[in-house]
Amino acid sequence: MAADLAGGGVGAAAPVDPDGPDGVRMTWNAWPRSKVEASKCVIPVAASIATIRASPSLLVLPYAPLRCKPPCAAVLNPFARVDFAAKIWICPFCFSRNHFPPHYAAMSETNVPGELYPQCTTVEYAPPPLDAAAAAVPPPVFLFVLDTCLIEEELGFVKSAMRRAIGLLPDHALVGLVTFGTQVHLYELGFSDLSKIYVFRATKEISKEQILDQLGLSAASIRPGTAAAPGYPKAGLQANGLLPSGSVNRFLLPASDCEYTLSALLDELQTDQWPVEAGNRALRCTGVALSVGAGLLGACMPGTGARIIALVGGPCTEGPGMIVSKDLSEPVRSHKDLDKDAASHFHKAIKFYDNLAKQLVSQGHVLDLFASALDQVGVAEMKVVVERTGGLVVLAESFGHPVFKDSFKRIFEDGEQSLGLSFNGTLEINCSKDIKIQGVIGPCASLEKKGALCADTVIGQGSTTSWRLCGLDGSTCLTAFFDISPGERSSQPGTTNPQLYIQFLTNYQNPEGQMRIRVTTVTRRWVDGSANTEELVEGFDQETAAVVLARYISLKMEMEEEFDATRWLDRSLIRLCSRFGDYRKDDPASFTLHPNFSIFPQFMFNLRRSQFVQVFNNSPDETAYFRMLLNRESITNSVVMIQPSLLSYSFNSPPVPAMLDVASILVDRILLLDAYFSVVIFHGMTIAQWRNMGYQNQPEHQYFRNIDTNKLFLGVKYTDIFEMARFLLAKLNPSATYNSAHEVAPGSDVIFTDDVSLQVFCEHLQRLAVQS
Amino acid sequence: MASSQPFPSAPPRPQPGFSPSPNPNPSSTADALQTLQIGRAPPPSAAPRAASIPFSSPASRFGLSRPGPPPFASRPPTTSAPITSNGPPAFGLGASRFPPPPPVAQRPPLAGSPASIRASPQAQVSRPFTGSSPSVPPPSSQPFMGSPPSSQPFMGSPPSSQPFMGSPPSSQPYMNPPPSSQAFMGPPSSRPFAGPPSSQPFAGPPSSKPFGAPPSSQPFGGPPSSQPFGGRPSSQPFMSPTMPFPGTPASSLPFGTPSWQFQTQQGAPPMPGTMQAPPRMFGMPPNMSGQPMAPFPPVTGHSPLAGHQVSTQSKIDPNQIPRPVPSTSPTLFETRQGNQANIPPPATSDFIVKDNGNCSPRLMRCTMNQIPCTGDLLSTSSMPLALMVQPFVLPHPSEEPIQVVDFGESGPLRCSRCKGYMNPFMRFVDQGRQFICNLCGFMNETPRDYYCNLGPDGRRRDVDERPELCRGTVEFVATKEYMVRDPMPAVFFFIIDVSMNAIQTGATAAACTAINQALADLPEGPRTMVGIATFNSSIHFYNLKRASQQPLMLIVPDIQDVYTPLHTDLIVQLTECRQNLEQLLDSIPNMFENNRVAESAFGAALKAAFLAMKPTGGKLLVFQSVLPSVGIGSLYSREAEGRTNVSSGDKEAHKLLQPADKTLKTMAIEFAEYQVCVDIFLTTQMFVDIASLSVIPRTTGGQVYYYYPFSVISDPAKLYNDLRWNISRPQGFEAVMRVRCSQGLQVQGYSGNFCKRIPTDIDLPAIDCDKTIMVTFKHDDKFQEGSECAFQCALLYTTEYGQRRIRIINLSLPCTSMLSNLFRSADLDTQFTCFLKQAANGIPASPLSEVREQITNLCINILHSYRKFCATASSSGQLILPEALKLLPLYTLALVKSIGLRNDGRLDDRSYWVSRSASLSIPMAFPLVYPRMISIHDLASKEDDGSLLSATIPLSSEHINDDGIYLLENGEDGLIYVGNMVNPDTLQQLFGVSSVDGIPTQLVLQQFDNDLSKKLNDVVNETRRQRCSYLRLRLCRKGDPSGLFFLSYLVEDKIPGGLSYVEFLVHVHRQIQTKMA
Repeated sequence: MAADLAGGGVGAAAPVDPDGPDGVRMTWNAWPRSKVEASKCVIPVAASIATIRASPSLLVLPYAPLRCKPPCAAVLNPFARVDFAAKIWICPFCFSRNHFPPHYAAMSETNVPGELYPQCTTVEYAPPPLDAAAAAVPPPVFLFVLDTCLIEEELGFVKSAMRRAIGLLPDHALVGLVTFGTQVHLYELGFSDLSKIYVFRATKEISKEQILDQLGLSAASIRPGTAAAPGYPKAGLQANGLLPSGSVNRFLLPASDCEYTLSALLDELQTDQWPVEAGNRALRCTGVALSVGAGLLGACMPGTGARIIALVGGPCTEGPGMIVSKDLSEPVRSHKDLDKDAASHFHKAIKFYDNLAKQLVSQGHVLDLFASALDQVGVAEMKVVVERTGGLVVLAESFGHPVFKDSFKRIFEDGEQSLGLSFNGTLEINCSKDIKIQGVIGPCASLEKKGALCADTVIGQGSTTSWRLCGLDGSTCLTAFFDISPGERSSQPGTTNPQLYIQFLTNYQNPEGQMRIRVTTVTRRWVDGSANTEELVEGFDQETAAVVLARYISLKMEMEEEFDATRWLDRSLIRLCSRFGDYRKDDPASFTLHPNFSIFPQFMFNLRRSQFVQVFNNSPDETAYFRMLLNRESITNSVVMIQPSLLSYSFNSPPVPAMLDVASILVDRILLLDAYFSVVIFHGMTIAQWRNMGYQNQPEHQYFRNIDTNKLFLGVKYTDIFEMARFLLAKLNPSATYNSAHEVAPGSDVIFTDDVSLQVFCEHLQRLAVQS
Repeated sequence: MASSQPFPSAPPRPQPGFSPSPNPNPSSTADALQTLQIGRAPPPSAAPRAASIPFSSPASRFGLSRPGPPPFASRPPTTSAPITSNGPPAFGLGASRFPPPPPVAQRPPLAGSPASIRASPQAQVSRPFTGSSPSVPPPSSQPFMGSPPSSQPFMGSPPSSQPFMGSPPSSQPYMNPPPSSQAFMGPPSSRPFAGPPSSQPFAGPPSSKPFGAPPSSQPFGGPPSSQPFGGRPSSQPFMSPTMPFPGTPASSLPFGTPSWQFQTQQGAPPMPGTMQAPPRMFGMPPNMSGQPMAPFPPVTGHSPLAGHQVSTQSKIDPNQIPRPVPSTSPTLFETRQGNQANIPPPATSDFIVKDNGNCSPRLMRCTMNQIPCTGDLLSTSSMPLALMVQPFVLPHPSEEPIQVVDFGESGPLRCSRCKGYMNPFMRFVDQGRQFICNLCGFMNETPRDYYCNLGPDGRRRDVDERPELCRGTVEFVATKEYMVRDPMPAVFFFIIDVSMNAIQTGATAAACTAINQALADLPEGPRTMVGIATFNSSIHFYNLKRASQQPLMLIVPDIQDVYTPLHTDLIVQLTECRQNLEQLLDSIPNMFENNRVAESAFGAALKAAFLAMKPTGGKLLVFQSVLPSVGIGSLYSREAEGRTNVSSGDKEAHKLLQPADKTLKTMAIEFAEYQVCVDIFLTTQMFVDIASLSVIPRTTGGQVYYYYPFSVISDPAKLYNDLRWNISRPQGFEAVMRVRCSQGLQVQGYSGNFCKRIPTDIDLPAIDCDKTIMVTFKHDDKFQEGSECAFQCALLYTTEYGQRRIRIINLSLPCTSMLSNLFRSADLDTQFTCFLKQAANGIPASPLSEVREQITNLCINILHSYRKFCATASSSGQLILPEALKLLPLYTLALVKSIGLRNDGRLDDRSYWVSRSASLSIPMAFPLVYPRMISIHDLASKEDDGSLLSATIPLSSEHINDDGIYLLENGEDGLIYVGNMVNPDTLQQLFGVSSVDGIPTQLVLQQFDNDLSKKLNDVVNETRRQRCSYLRLRLCRKGDPSGLFFLSYLVEDKIPGGLSYVEFLVHVHRQIQTKMA
């Protein structure tokens, strides 16, 4: 049994495109019809949506979508019933009849518009701009916010990363620069006479209005000036004609115009010159720097895709957003402190960043956070901003580390590696009547557009049917949670449509700056009554379920004090197995699971041991970082975060998936562990010896070397054997511990741990699941 | 009253009869003078020059006039009666009495006498007059003068009188001087002593004192060294080169030439010539020995006015009224002789001090040269008891420098009880083993290493080797004990307004240029640090320490809660950043060329700069052009509000002269605490609320410079020169000052530009040679007759070169229980300055009418006291003026009419006047109130004997002719008044245009190749040198507003709501009579 459960491995999930053409994966592909049934299913009904995933087969329609009458406003889709003669379509969500507008006159059964093709459940509209003004594509804005409280070496890395990034920016992109340390320096790049810097102090919070006022960007501060000097020539306010708010282009210049200036500024950029007293941390006002950046972008035209790219090298120690005092004797808060509510700055900082998030969301701008430090920098506090704005986050030990360097580069790169950064997204969800939306977990922010479709209970960003995605890219993934609350009428079987429909509309500005609307409409089956377990089982997606559960539990851990995640998971798993397992009561040995559930216990086993649940092995910053990525990555990637994939390389055969078990460690194998956040290459004892002898440099062993250099995005390559071993061993199933040494196979390894092994875990599960 | 005297007849104004112009005298100023005189009867006849004659004649006039107390009367013909009644008005007095003439020859003689003179008490009295005499000479010309003899009284002791007198009478005198005048002068000046001879004779009589009170007279004479008007005390005037023109004397001033670049002439150091004049001993006037006294003789004695003889006509001859008389040649003044304090020469005269125990009167002088034994006596006299201390005053170049004494590690020797510093008046007893403190009377043990035997005379044998025992002023090297930190570097931080208005008016460019040029005058060396910032609605700092790059501009946008944008590099050594700084200054005007920010965050900029300077302290120089409108300490246009609320305004009007709120005051106190001194240069064309702004300089030891309305054509030169003087004049930093005095008195208060945190000391972030501090005293005990009262000012400061020093200034004066002695030794200069400062302090606090009344009452009370207790013998109909204070009425009148006390003045003008008065020195106080006026059109005909400036004209429109051109200067502004009938040739020569209308209003004086133009330039340059200030020239044309503006300076005229000089005398006289009754 145990072998069965563990046998699947990650390798099993190798379909061509697990997400399907729509990029939508659900925990249940057949939905229980009633609330009671839904709760018996244990795993929440949820959908993971890859909102703008690139797809070769995507149909792009050069016109605006046709919408149902309000309040439904669903977009015409293949599931609508169409009367070609009468030129009428019936909305599958609200069953309203809508007339086609005149320009659909030419439509007929043989001339069907693209959005009605049955296979085109996902289409993208690229409506022509309404007028010339809308046609002018505002250039993207990149505002760099650099920490200068760094040692020289780190500052050097930052500078070179910056230089590279600037070189990669499109010429028309607008660039701004902010540096900060004890104070915040905002560079007026458009001032040609000399280097001009606005200096802000860290000690108090400044509102967006104050910032604009102080920069002379607010309407109030511009008007009197112009009024007072009527005869004056307009001083290049409209230089590039793109920013009606005018003088903000003193600070934001096209990359092509300011490349030289920026490079000169970087050349002379020094580490922060304010003295640091002995026994103290440098004064670093990250919070104010971000406020200033956000405030400046606030002067940009609404709708401009703008990102603040923050490079932070240490904790904020002064002013709003501070996470620790400057006194070195006070350590940065740990999970333990948070648990005991002993982190004195935490709540204040959270509040500050929460407000900052609201501001950025309302402006539609993004915060990307690149944190490189040996200690924590406050990612846990800043998480709210990054996540709500859909920003990118990278956590590394040094700006010289490839994790930072490569990731940073990828943001700006064009071509295949490009992230396809998009801006200004909004997501709307429509669904059939009996379905309510509880909320969304992921990089988005609620637009607080309440409607009949909102559920009473809220998960994540809820109480709305529409969300803001300030920043999104091809891999951005959201998880929507649904509640089933059938009306009285619809609860009578047979009277209603056996299909349910859900439609996702994503408005966004693609990397080229054009507005696009992606519409995905999916349908699923209702399962009536409690008898049809079989149908539910058939519709279960265990990978999605594991990931959704991980996301859900992470959220609960953050939101609920005293939440015992392990216990909650165990109970859920037992309930699930009780409900869907095949067994005889009180006979553990009779227990079996349907293949659709077979790996699920193993996922749970690993989830229980993962960084998402066992947070005490990590700092709050790391935890926040892991969770942010968990929430925004695709199901496939997220599964790896929960249960790493292990590939075994040998000389004689192609790489094969290996069991995530200490037993897979063999002397003549190279193991590649992909835990998403890190990739570990483990050389078996013999291989290590060969390597030390330099075999990989011999032509005949080319292949051997390639394993080492085969890198993944955000990967970490441990080449130190001990380091690697520690990491790898922590991830492996402790099937062999010093407690079970008698079973150890020759040449394999032993893990020194008190954790139970998967086998033991499964045994207990079986026992509990069958209890009456 | 009227009835009695004849006076009436002589209206001040010109009398038809005389035609001045006609005056033959080609010689000196003739024209000008004459014109003036015209009014007066005598003039005509009097040959301008003809000194001799003049006198005689003058005498008569004088007599008349003065005596003719009527003079006053005259005006009021009818009403004036009062005066008249007296018969011999005081005025006339002096003059009439003494026939000046004799004097002439005399001078030489006098010299000899001095000593003797002194001896004789009486002699002293005489002085005053004498002084005046100088003016007399010219006698002929003016009435007053004319009657040299008599005149003197008024004129007063020549010396003093001059200033005022100056004009009319004086002018002539000057001109003529040589002859007769000298006579007077000489003696007079000689002061008391000198006077003797003559005086006695005349004086002899009791009365003499009044007038004579020679010494006293000086005060009026006014302006010390500078000699604004007449220059010295009369005596030398003519003779000596002292005169301004020659310029020499003054030359001492650093300013000197260089500063005025614009004026070509300046270059030439005039001085030399001047110097030549052999300094005379102050005491002994070179001139006529006898003369001085003479004047008084009779009647006058006390009061000038009283014309003795009614005989003269009834009228008061305005020309006979006491007026300041300038003097010229330097006298030598020994501060003590025969173990007695000498009475100092007028502050406005040119003198060379020999410090032999008491300090130079330039450094510190008292309102009275004898101290009343009791408080009752003091209050009976109604006179103030105060010191004017100007600790860094420029010495005369011929004086020996202040000696520096280093006591080594132990530091300067001090009394162990009162902490007074060792000085010449500490008495060593018990073979020198102990010494008695002259301040607190405590018996101290002499430290072993300071011990020295006493000689047979009871003095230590080493007295002459130890400066602290034989000099009134010394400097001690301060030890560690006197430092809370290392002496601060010389830090100069400039902040410049770059708001739209400042840019558009050219003020920013002018400031940048001025700073750029002035950099060369900053002290050399590594201790000199500079910083710069600009501001409009935000504050822009500049990091100048960037080796090969442009400066970095750092903007502090938060003007509510400012901060400094860098930890270091905002203030850097001048040597390190000079090039960057120069380049930056060049580019600032262009950089902000298109600036359309109209707001100005003055307060915030100040605060931010302060934060940058906080660690060191230093000088903060602010160039501001508009009303601070945003940020900390922003202000609003109260002026407009004041106008709209006229109804409620009158009672509350003075509140607009108070600071708008306390923000700036609080800031200023913090600045002072960290040794930051702020100077504000207001280059503006609008209301900037000086009442509020000036709090900062006043509290931090700085000052306000005011350029209104700012003109890009004519003001940059002044701005530059002011700045240059500001940074290059002698000054000290992080100073603390305390004045101690003998038991019996205690310090009542300090007044000036400083910050006071503890009752006994005043903090001066910076103190310079132009700043004067007034210290008032009150009795807390009695003095014994014959004892001395000592004053000791101790100033601890840091030099520009980083040395910590203690400057000790000692003055020991005899105590007296005789009221007459107080009047005789009264120091008009100091008293008047004291009144000025009291008035300035009162203006923001009380309604204007009250202040004016207070000032007038001060004058009346003093004269009344004198009349009641010291001149009882004279007829009640006479206005009797104490000789030493005979110009008091004139100055009081002028003060009451000065800008600060006018109803119609702009708020800012008045506030500026108030703020300027607060730190004004004695020599500069006079021109501020009673400006110096000379004629220009006839300069070419005057002899260039260095006395061009001494030919002053009384400030009366009677002396202004339509065909004349006049220069009136008050130490800061120069008004050139052009009549409407001026000879086109003259215009051509002076201004290069042939019609009045062709002269630009924003006048930049050019030098043309002709004698007249050269002389005008000489005069202007000499004035600048004397005043240490670059005159801001302004053209005033008859018949347009500028002409009216000029006329408003003629304080002797009757104006709406203001009395004429003669009327005022009558008024004073009446008041006294009322009180007597």
